[in-house]
Amino acid sequence: MSKNKTSSAIVIGMGVFVVMALIAMLVIFQAQRSKKVELDIYGQVPQFTFTERQNEPFGTDQMMGEINVVDFIFTRCQGACPVMATKMQRLYAEFSENPGVRLVSISVDPAHDTLEVLQQYAIDHGVTDQRWVFLHAPIEDVVTLSEKGFMLPADNLPMGHSSKFALVDAMGQIRGYYDSFDDTEVDQLIIDIKRLRGQ
Amino acid sequence: MKHLQRFAIISTLATYFLIFVGGLVRVSGAGLGCPDWPKCFGRWIPPTNISQLPADMDPSMFNFTLAWIEYTNRLVGMTVGLLILTTAILALVHARNILKIWLPSVIAALLVAYQGWQGGQVVATELEPIVVSAHMGIALIIVTLLVYIAQQSYYVRHPKVEAKAEYPAKIKGWLIAVWITSIVQIVLGTQLRSTIEILSEGRPFAVDSSWVANLGIVNHTHQAIGVLLIGLGLHVGIKILLRSKNSTSLVFQSAIALVALMGLQAISAASLIMFGMPSIMRLVHLWIASGIIGVLLLLFSAVNQQRKFAK
Repeated sequence: MSKNKTSSAIVIGMGVFVVMALIAMLVIFQAQRSKKVELDIYGQVPQFTFTERQNEPFGTDQMMGEINVVDFIFTRCQGACPVMATKMQRLYAEFSENPGVRLVSISVDPAHDTLEVLQQYAIDHGVTDQRWVFLHAPIEDVVTLSEKGFMLPADNLPMGHSSKFALVDAMGQIRGYYDSFDDTEVDQLIIDIKRLRGQ
Repeated sequence: MKHLQRFAIISTLATYFLIFVGGLVRVSGAGLGCPDWPKCFGRWIPPTNISQLPADMDPSMFNFTLAWIEYTNRLVGMTVGLLILTTAILALVHARNILKIWLPSVIAALLVAYQGWQGGQVVATELEPIVVSAHMGIALIIVTLLVYIAQQSYYVRHPKVEAKAEYPAKIKGWLIAVWITSIVQIVLGTQLRSTIEILSEGRPFAVDSSWVANLGIVNHTHQAIGVLLIGLGLHVGIKILLRSKNSTSLVFQSAIALVALMGLQAISAASLIMFGMPSIMRLVHLWIASGIIGVLLLLFSAVNQQRKFAK
């Protein structure tokens, strides 16, 4: 019998064992993470009241009691916004039977995005009801809400707005951020909205 | 015969891998990752995003990670099934006169087919503990058969390999004692696992060592027998290593493996108690147990083979 062969077999066996155990740990970790039903609470949306496209006040009071998806956009934008709008349209269609899910797009270019412009933008995107609202407010208030309220960067506006969607629950708490450019994150957003609704 | 032996060895290793993957499904809680069977969310390849879900399925049930863990088990299971089927065909072609080879091969092939269907029952019963335990039990029987087939086809090719060896007296009896104790231990272990799952229901992140104290009589028995078993196993392994003459490398390596596995099992058991049953250690603990079963069979059959020349 060969002692060398035996010891190399032991070394190989141990190596394979360690690698499998490491992979297993990773898989278990991923599985646990994926099962996390409880969404984190990132913070409370501060009190605000802006104006929506039909010249009605809209803010935290209107958001309470509903599940909200918030993003920051501007209508002239040629970069991120068309993609974000497409994803919002997907959400708008997905929850067409559920008035309790509200989409909130806040303009970061209020000088250009007058209520009339927002009105036209909404019509262009097939919005027919108040499940998707478009908000107008002085630029300082928008910057404050984005940076302080949603902890989303708002430098070099209007171009520098975030492309993330923020999920806000019925109590006005921020429960998640989702990259609007990543389809799997938008999928996750849909799942999380359904979870929040189920609670 | 050479091909048969090779396929039996490959099937054995693949089945051990499959037992690992199956255990991983168990401990990661991915058993219902696919709510249907044999397809996953109505597809042969699991969905990669929710737009692919069938309309009648609730998207909030869909978890990409869990679906793929479960599906990997099915894919590996399918591969192992084909390997075992090939082994059985080779046995029927090349060993049709050797009952002790072709019969276990055919039984293994039938069992693995049954096991595939039974895996569907695991899903259909939503992880009923007894059905899950049966799934693992069948896997252990299959791997035992495969080890036996591989070793016996080796002895058909090399009938005199154990002729000059001498092993300690009464070692067969000792090996049987360790084997029976191991089986009892595995049954108790599956019981323990069910208890843990009932306790952990509704609090998936409450993992601490205070758990172990709440597991009751089954736990105490499992620990007591465990100490006894590790003592017995080490005794038998070391006895074979020290008291044998001209032992074959198969026996020598198996005895080393037995000692090593018993040692590792003691470490994994200690870490289970100390760290409050972490998933990864439960998986390792179970896998080592299945390895011990195989190594014991190797040693037993080798001594049996040697005894033919002893008289």
